[in-house]
Amino acid sequence: MSVVLYRVDERLIHGQVVIGWGHELRPDRYVVVDDEIAGSAWEQELYALGAPEADAVFATVKDARAHLDEWSRDHVRTVVLTRTIGSMRALLDGLGQGRAINLGGLHAGPERTRVLDYLHLTADDREDLGALAAQGVEVFARDLPEAPSVDLDTVLSA
Amino acid sequence: MSHDTRPRGGFGMLMRSLLIQGAWNYRTMLGSGFAFALLPALKRLYGNDPNALARAIERHSEHFNAHPYLAPIALGAIARLESDQVDVETIRRFRTAVRGPLGGLGDTLVWATWLPLVAVCSLVLYWFGVPGWGVVLAFVLVYNVGHLGLRVWGLWLGLDAGRDVGARLTAVDLGSWARRLQGPLVIGLGVLCGAVLSAPGGLSSIGPAWSALAAVAFVLGLVGGHRAWRPAAMATVGAIAFIGLWGILS
Repeated sequence: MSVVLYRVDERLIHGQVVIGWGHELRPDRYVVVDDEIAGSAWEQELYALGAPEADAVFATVKDARAHLDEWSRDHVRTVVLTRTIGSMRALLDGLGQGRAINLGGLHAGPERTRVLDYLHLTADDREDLGALAAQGVEVFARDLPEAPSVDLDTVLSA
Repeated sequence: MSHDTRPRGGFGMLMRSLLIQGAWNYRTMLGSGFAFALLPALKRLYGNDPNALARAIERHSEHFNAHPYLAPIALGAIARLESDQVDVETIRRFRTAVRGPLGGLGDTLVWATWLPLVAVCSLVLYWFGVPGWGVVLAFVLVYNVGHLGLRVWGLWLGLDAGRDVGARLTAVDLGSWARRLQGPLVIGLGVLCGAVLSAPGGLSSIGPAWSALAAVAFVLGLVGGHRAWRPAAMATVGAIAFIGLWGILS
């Protein structure tokens, strides 16, 4: 399987992903799944600058669902990124069996409560994560590869 | 209300951008400094309306991070967007999208290339006999020509390009500047090694064993340094430093 990481991180393509995880996983392609950015050329230019050594692909949730199988089977090492847990659920709903999603940077904001320094969740986020886990998706929080992995039970009980 | 295409207040923003790290903190990082540096532009736009000004300062104090020398690109672009009366949500999304590339490009260009290049060239001057004060002066002058030049150019680029800085930065290709400078950096390192080995008071005058040890350490670092397990690399460097110190002191 050549999707090497599914990650929720509101900063999308940035240092922690490209240097931190990129050094470990050596991806050749970053897929940003976001309905708004998929239609915004200037935002795509900016995010693509963050990963000069890999391809940056931008897709709506609908397009990404159609391509998910292809990305999982081809030989291009791919990191799939979403800004929100909601779009990750929309992407993997019914297709997530046997996949794992990584929770990275979700920072403090209105209606979000703190779970870890880099992770703040709304009530909807918690419900989405529970629904994904019930479909057989493994969920873990970890900002960088050298940081400890925190499992979903611990995340939801915080 | 009519606007000039290019917002004013550029000089004030440039000067204030030098202090952008002055209120650095883990929660908003450069956020407060960003609002502080943007203030000359915001005051020109919202000067008559204290409530609107306060809201603008609040928006621009939110979390922001970038390389400090490249932050003026974001400052200029956002001053331009504010002056063009672009909606608040678009400006917020711009601010989020721009911080990643400005951080990564700045780290590659400045911390990993320009700083070591100027430092290595200054050390070469020292080993060729330039007095210490001259070396320090040369380092400070040359380094800051690049540093301040980058800030001035960045602010100008941001003010000019506004929302489209991504396309402009792609065209300029700062990454290729870094790659071009890495050639001279490697040559400088080679000259430095030669000078350190052969100069009077250099390694070869201490004795052949130490030169050989330095050569072995250099080759090990070149071959395996970038993929060494971090604690092992630190232990190796520590051991070499200890042996070196012991050799010098005994």
